[in-house]
Amino acid sequence: MVPTAMVFKAKLWTQLAPTFKTTLRKRTPFKQILVAALLFVGLAAWSGARAVHGISTLAGQADTARQSSQESSESWLTEFDNICAKTEDAMTFSQEELTVLIRRCDNLQPQIEKLDESRKKVYLERLRKCRGLYAYVLDAKRKDKK
Amino acid sequence: MPTSSMQKGKTRNENPRGLLRFALACGILLLPCIASAQIYLPRPAPEPSEYGKVILDNYSGAEPGAVVFDHWMHRSKFTCRVCHVDIGFAMQAKATGINAKSNSEGFHCGACHDGKRMFEGKTIFAACSGVPNNQCYRCHSLGKNGVRKYEYKEFTAKLPKGIYGVNWEAAEKSRAIKPVDFVEGLSVRMTQMRRRADFSVDAAYPWVEPINFSHEKHAIWNGCELCHPEIFPSAQKGTIRFSMFSNIEGRGCGACHGKVAFPLNNCSGCHSRAPVWVP
Repeated sequence: MVPTAMVFKAKLWTQLAPTFKTTLRKRTPFKQILVAALLFVGLAAWSGARAVHGISTLAGQADTARQSSQESSESWLTEFDNICAKTEDAMTFSQEELTVLIRRCDNLQPQIEKLDESRKKVYLERLRKCRGLYAYVLDAKRKDKK
Repeated sequence: MPTSSMQKGKTRNENPRGLLRFALACGILLLPCIASAQIYLPRPAPEPSEYGKVILDNYSGAEPGAVVFDHWMHRSKFTCRVCHVDIGFAMQAKATGINAKSNSEGFHCGACHDGKRMFEGKTIFAACSGVPNNQCYRCHSLGKNGVRKYEYKEFTAKLPKGIYGVNWEAAEKSRAIKPVDFVEGLSVRMTQMRRRADFSVDAAYPWVEPINFSHEKHAIWNGCELCHPEIFPSAQKGTIRFSMFSNIEGRGCGACHGKVAFPLNNCSGCHSRAPVWVP
């Protein structure tokens, strides 16, 4: 026994086939071809432009990300310079100011610990000296007050 | 019956033995003191050209060999602070963790010796650039003759001399040397240092002259953080007990004096009325 669906498909094909054949046999007018070509080119240009825009947006995003990562990677250095540029003036700072500087040193340490080996080695040593001096001056000032 | 003179004679005969025993006992008791005094006497300083020479030999026997670092050469060009604070060279041997990798990445020696940086109109040669060449032996020169560019005698010929080698203080005062305190890309730009007052440090013994400590001069060369708190951990006067013993052991003033700064034998360098030179 032949399934019903197959019988239906066969019937549909026998009905539609002559229509397809006549359509294919007919010569398509030039105007239609031109319109189709223009439509195709337009569609291609539009999608191309979309793609280019997308790529440039992505590149822009990547640039921004790179820039911000560079900024964040160098922000530790700016902070380091800001903290350690004040060592010569350590004696002029109040106890509160010295406490803030020490806290900033402590906050900076984990960032430096994430750096590559050589950079970490040098900057941790420099930070240790810097922090040590502020702690030393703070200690001296506290003892003076007593 | 013995006479009094005979008794006296007997006493005289017994006394030398007693004295001998007494002298022997004193000698035994003094022996550790004499021995310790010999230990704690400053060792005679080597030739000025050899003084302060640092041998970096972290990888014994490995090529290209140990590094010979002439402290005198670099101290004539830079302040202590630039190298020991900004570049991060430790004050103790083998504490820096210096190696070819850190040099080639632009740290430690490579901070200046990068093959690009200019100094006094010359390009500073690159340290540990990764390409073995004759330049390696300018530093890795232990046991190699004729590979070093600067010799002490020629280099210091025009510099003022003291009782022991170059008088660096006078050299700077006369502008014969101009130690640089800032290296672009390494140093942190600081404000002008305020004047640090010199002060007097009492000696451990009353018969020794107090020291007139030149805080100003030391601060200019070293910065603050090189000495405090690591070498001098307390700012309170009288809390640190200075002694020549601790100096000779490399603590306090001995962290530099006796190693690279003028030797401890030069008593008058600190104690103004002390003998000029004790060899």
